Amino acid sequence: MSAIKLDKLPEKVILPLKQHDGIACAPLVKKGEEVVIGQKIGDCEGSDLAYIHSPYCGTVESVVEMPNPSGKRVLSVIINPLECADSVDFIPEKDATPSRLLEIIKEAGIVEYYQKPTYLALKPGKRIDTLIMNATFPLIANAYLDSLDKVLKGFRLMLEAGGISRGAIVIRADDKESIKAFKNAKVDGKPLTVAPIIGKRHADYYFEDSEDEIIVLAGGKITYTPTMMNLLSGDVMGRKIPLGYEPADVHVAVCGVKSAKAVYDAVYEGKPYLENVITVSGAVNRPGSVLVKFGTPIKDVIEACGGYKGEPGKVIINGTRVGVAIYSDESPVAKDTTGIVVQTKDEVLRDVSSACIHCARCVDVCPMNLLPGRIAVMADQGMYEKCGEYYALSCIECGDCAAVCPAKKHLVQLIRFSKLQLLKMCAEAEPAEVTE
Amino acid sequence: MTTFTVSPPPHRRSKISIKTLMWGRVAALVPISLAAIYFFGFAALGNIAASILGAVIIEFAIEKAFKYELTILDGNAVYIGLLLALICPPTLPAWMIFLAAMFAVGIGKHAFGGIGSYVFHPALAAWVFLSLSWAQDMLPGTTPITSSFSDMILETGAGFLGDVSPILVLLTGVALIAMKLVEWRIPVTYLLTTVILAVLLGDPVSYVITGTFLLGVLFFATETVTTPVTKNGRIIYGILCGVLTVLYGYFSGNYVWGTLYALLLSNAIAPYIEVNTLPKPVGGVAHE
Repeated sequence: MSAIKLDKLPEKVILPLKQHDGIACAPLVKKGEEVVIGQKIGDCEGSDLAYIHSPYCGTVESVVEMPNPSGKRVLSVIINPLECADSVDFIPEKDATPSRLLEIIKEAGIVEYYQKPTYLALKPGKRIDTLIMNATFPLIANAYLDSLDKVLKGFRLMLEAGGISRGAIVIRADDKESIKAFKNAKVDGKPLTVAPIIGKRHADYYFEDSEDEIIVLAGGKITYTPTMMNLLSGDVMGRKIPLGYEPADVHVAVCGVKSAKAVYDAVYEGKPYLENVITVSGAVNRPGSVLVKFGTPIKDVIEACGGYKGEPGKVIINGTRVGVAIYSDESPVAKDTTGIVVQTKDEVLRDVSSACIHCARCVDVCPMNLLPGRIAVMADQGMYEKCGEYYALSCIECGDCAAVCPAKKHLVQLIRFSKLQLLKMCAEAEPAEVTE
Repeated sequence: MTTFTVSPPPHRRSKISIKTLMWGRVAALVPISLAAIYFFGFAALGNIAASILGAVIIEFAIEKAFKYELTILDGNAVYIGLLLALICPPTLPAWMIFLAAMFAVGIGKHAFGGIGSYVFHPALAAWVFLSLSWAQDMLPGTTPITSSFSDMILETGAGFLGDVSPILVLLTGVALIAMKLVEWRIPVTYLLTTVILAVLLGDPVSYVITGTFLLGVLFFATETVTTPVTKNGRIIYGILCGVLTVLYGYFSGNYVWGTLYALLLSNAIAPYIEVNTLPKPVGGVAHE
């Protein structure tokens, strides 16, 4: 299944100067200026940055605050695109050293699916022994199967850049199309090993037996969303991450399929991170995966998918579980957008929350083994220390508890609020410890 | 321009609501109620009607008086009323059960803070209220013994309404578990513990498996409000219910009362079980 492409030029392109959860860039262009494809239009300084490049050529209409897929207004460069193919010179660098590779990745502004710039994910400053590629979003993984060799080459480059010795690609066990494609794929002329994860047979078990640098693992039937790092590491590597630690602390780095392809483009073709595959599902006439250039308004993406089916009620960015419902389909697609879900007016939920009946459904579904209902009650009453005692900070905000709640309580929001308060309390408590 | 709804996630939820859970339980009790009416006749019908009516009227009165939102349609009051009628003898005068149902919902439920907040199962509390106030009227005519399979289908020695057909209670209760409206941990551990302990102590199982006991296992013990929410806590709660049932039943010789008193006591211990079985999150806690 290949991705749908946009054949029409959008009327207006909105490029937010902050497309991931990090530092916002400063605009490098002014109103009326001409830009070409691949031109750097946003520059920033700091440690958690992703430069912004223009995927279109045209004239800058203005630099103003515009709606962003995250629901907030962000300073954006607005471009009137033209039918032209002028671009900056893309210089491929095939024999780059690891440090140069990292530099190229940083320069290209590549961002992981979990909001971290790729250069930071690959070299977090701690010893990393395995790079996991999360290919458990079937629609997105399938859209990249046509260019699988490029993805695999990009993955090799990432291993090289990070100085990581082993790479594990994780796919869903029920994603037959991907499994078939990976079985037929070759790295350095050798076929890939596709192995299942059963019980305690984690990645280490297969790495011991084979001399391959990269193996493919078919995990369970879970799609590991950005917050599910702990489970990804636990299921694939058998290394669970204790509360307050990162994947890097258990020597694991995580990347996505998109960024691997982007790394290939950056190194072998010299192109910065300009386009992405996103999924469009729900009430549209032709749902599927779409190859979109960043900055394209969502309404143009929907149009490429055949337009809305029925009267649209809600447009949700990044999934129905934890996604953001946006107020305008003029918002652009950004680097951290993975999917769009459209719901009709009838599908929009109108539940009213009522009292908790302690049915423990939230406890049964919680992948982190928490008591979501209890934490939410205490967060509601402002007992944040108590929330901490019930391990509120371990919550990965997957939204499963809220989805099954028969009382329709806003569990995720309550727990998230208690987490914010707890972190604030920790931050306030820290200076006192230093002075002691 | 089209307008879009903006709301917090999740944007898609399970269709199951409190209403579904409660009316599902009521529906599961309909077969046994019909069997009781068939067996006991109008006395049973009158008691069931009086009990449900009492529960609904007092719920309506309290919610109107305190200007709460009316919650009769969520089925909780109907469920409590129906359950209360099933653990009373058919010979009980209808006005007594009417009063008891008012006690169940008025004191047992609303005085403790309404749905989700009561400590003791309202129907059990009302049963104790009846037993203490009119002990003579609450004595069942006979004590059921399911000695053959036909007793499981229609128990001629039924003392309470719920005793008439143990198999109907069992089937509908298991159906609720299969439909995932009721969680399996408590009923399974409760049933196993009771049967194993009774056999070990030498009591015939035919004394134990009665309609009221099965109601206790599948409906009273699984009342989510009065049980611990932790996974291990629910297993301990089930075992505790079983142990207490056998303790009462073995020494008093009456497993019907044993079940109800054991459940009442277990309700009281449930919060204690819960706070002592708090789970550790996946991955553990690095620094406490």
